Amino acid sequence: MGHAQTHAKTLPADLNAPTFVRGWQARALVVAVLFTVTAVVLATLDHSAEHIYRAWVVGLMLCFGFCVGGLAMLMLQYVSGGKWGLLLRRPLEAMTRTLPLVFVYWIVTGLWMKKLYLWARFSDAAAALKAGLITEGEAHAIEWKHPMLNPEAFWVAGLICFAIWGFYTWRLNSMGLRRDTQDASTTPYWIKKTENLSGFGIVVYSLTMTAAVIYWVMSMDVTWYSTVYGLLFLVGEGYQVLALAVLTTLALSKEDPIKTMLRKTEQYDLGKFMMAFVMLNIYLAFAQFLIIWSGNLPEEIVWYMRRINGHWGVIATLDFIFHWLIPFAMLLSRDIKTNKKRLMRVAQWMIFAKFFDLFWLVEPNFKDAASNLHFSWGILEYIAVPVAMVSLWVAYYSWELTRRPLVQTNDPHLAEILEPEHAHA
Amino acid sequence: MAVPREGIYGLLAEFETPTALVHAAKAAHDAGWRRLDCYAPYPLEEAAEVIGFHRNRVPLLTLVGGLMGLCAMFSLETWISTLAYPLNIAGRPTYSWPAFVVPAYEWTILFAGLSAAFGMLALNGLPSLYHPLFNAPNFRSSATVDKFFLCLEATDPKFDRAESRAFLEGFQPNSVVEVEY
Repeated sequence: MGHAQTHAKTLPADLNAPTFVRGWQARALVVAVLFTVTAVVLATLDHSAEHIYRAWVVGLMLCFGFCVGGLAMLMLQYVSGGKWGLLLRRPLEAMTRTLPLVFVYWIVTGLWMKKLYLWARFSDAAAALKAGLITEGEAHAIEWKHPMLNPEAFWVAGLICFAIWGFYTWRLNSMGLRRDTQDASTTPYWIKKTENLSGFGIVVYSLTMTAAVIYWVMSMDVTWYSTVYGLLFLVGEGYQVLALAVLTTLALSKEDPIKTMLRKTEQYDLGKFMMAFVMLNIYLAFAQFLIIWSGNLPEEIVWYMRRINGHWGVIATLDFIFHWLIPFAMLLSRDIKTNKKRLMRVAQWMIFAKFFDLFWLVEPNFKDAASNLHFSWGILEYIAVPVAMVSLWVAYYSWELTRRPLVQTNDPHLAEILEPEHAHA
Repeated sequence: MAVPREGIYGLLAEFETPTALVHAAKAAHDAGWRRLDCYAPYPLEEAAEVIGFHRNRVPLLTLVGGLMGLCAMFSLETWISTLAYPLNIAGRPTYSWPAFVVPAYEWTILFAGLSAAFGMLALNGLPSLYHPLFNAPNFRSSATVDKFFLCLEATDPKFDRAESRAFLEGFQPNSVVEVEY
């Protein structure tokens, strides 16, 4: 950053997370407790826990996105390489190690299956139709999709997915640590090794993740389907993971070791990377909308009608503004991308936008809310429950951050990143 | 025209390394030189920084161009579909904005791209058929290959043939040559 500096910086002696990360953990725990209490109070005011189940899915998807999306981003970094990996790798690794908590969240979701999914509540679709509990279309969809959408398949598919993610998390994390204990001569070996594991891993991740979002989110509306759904969540995970990873790195850069490591060049690159995901995200979301709108088929368009009519249009418009327009307009500016404080604000905003988008995706699935946005104490659970769940997750994540050095030392880019900003001058 | 079109354009110092160039350029800028420029075979952000390179209007032109493309295409489509040639497509309203988004977006990109390219050319004065620096043989042969140049221009009030030459020679350049218009 200084002019005409010719001397490379030296790597700080202590590469562990600074002590203020413990503070994040404590604060996150306090917030988690406060919002859990709020959630309970809201449920009593609403005389029903109905919205807790729904909001739980939003919390699950956020934490799942950070954790397994972090795994995907880590693998993406290993296959693509680049200096940015040196800044994000350890935060991403810490995200992946939170898998046990996400697993617990998922088990709870499974226990509430009957509250959330028509296909779980009415295993006998014909009888439910006769009793007038579901429509003919829903009965048909439940029967037709029964081989995939049934409680046994939900548990089995989920367990297989978690086993696979767990395997990759364990492999990449243990390799990351082992790599650091060996000297620089082993670097090419480790680069190849992680690259090979990750290349295949990304393919497996895309498939398992698609299965997971179909079971957990898409099937809340049993009649509807979209072939781009998995991809939409995949890009959405990139969006939120990058936001959180950049936020973490910038927040950590207040003190060593990241203070020494973070240069404007890489920060600017990360900002551009965030922008790419902001674009890709709206690209897919709009493509899905445009195709379904053009087709205008009764079994598809209903999904959007439920999310536009009855005041949901306000939420849809805000979703577009929050999720795309604001981060896009902010990230267009080079000044914002190179300004630590402002880029942090953008990253925080993107995480909020992701949460807002999930609310719009989840709530209109349910009869009382479809095409009918209205206030109830219960709807505030969408704030209380996800905030509580994500805060608990953040506490876990912060703790994981403190568990290993923040910088991978056995990395070919380490020397380069310690050089002054414009290395050739 | 205030700029002299004959006589000396400036003094050109050739350096072996980018570091030497940046060092000399910084010293010149600190000494009060404002009409000076650096030339290197590849972008040298540090050099631009030390000679006080300021912002240009290309980003603004790009933004305005992009917005113009957006408005132009969106209104064109609206006009065609609602007034000039209204068609009943699957019973949809004639003003069906989702269908307009993709072309409008493409035009945003196109206009932004063109504005950036032509705006850059308009602001930096390219294409230019003549530049006095090419009168210097060492500049011709190596400015785009492996040498780094600093030129102190004669229009700077501090310019003085002997003094400026001595100033440049203080940085141990490969050579200092006078460049004719």
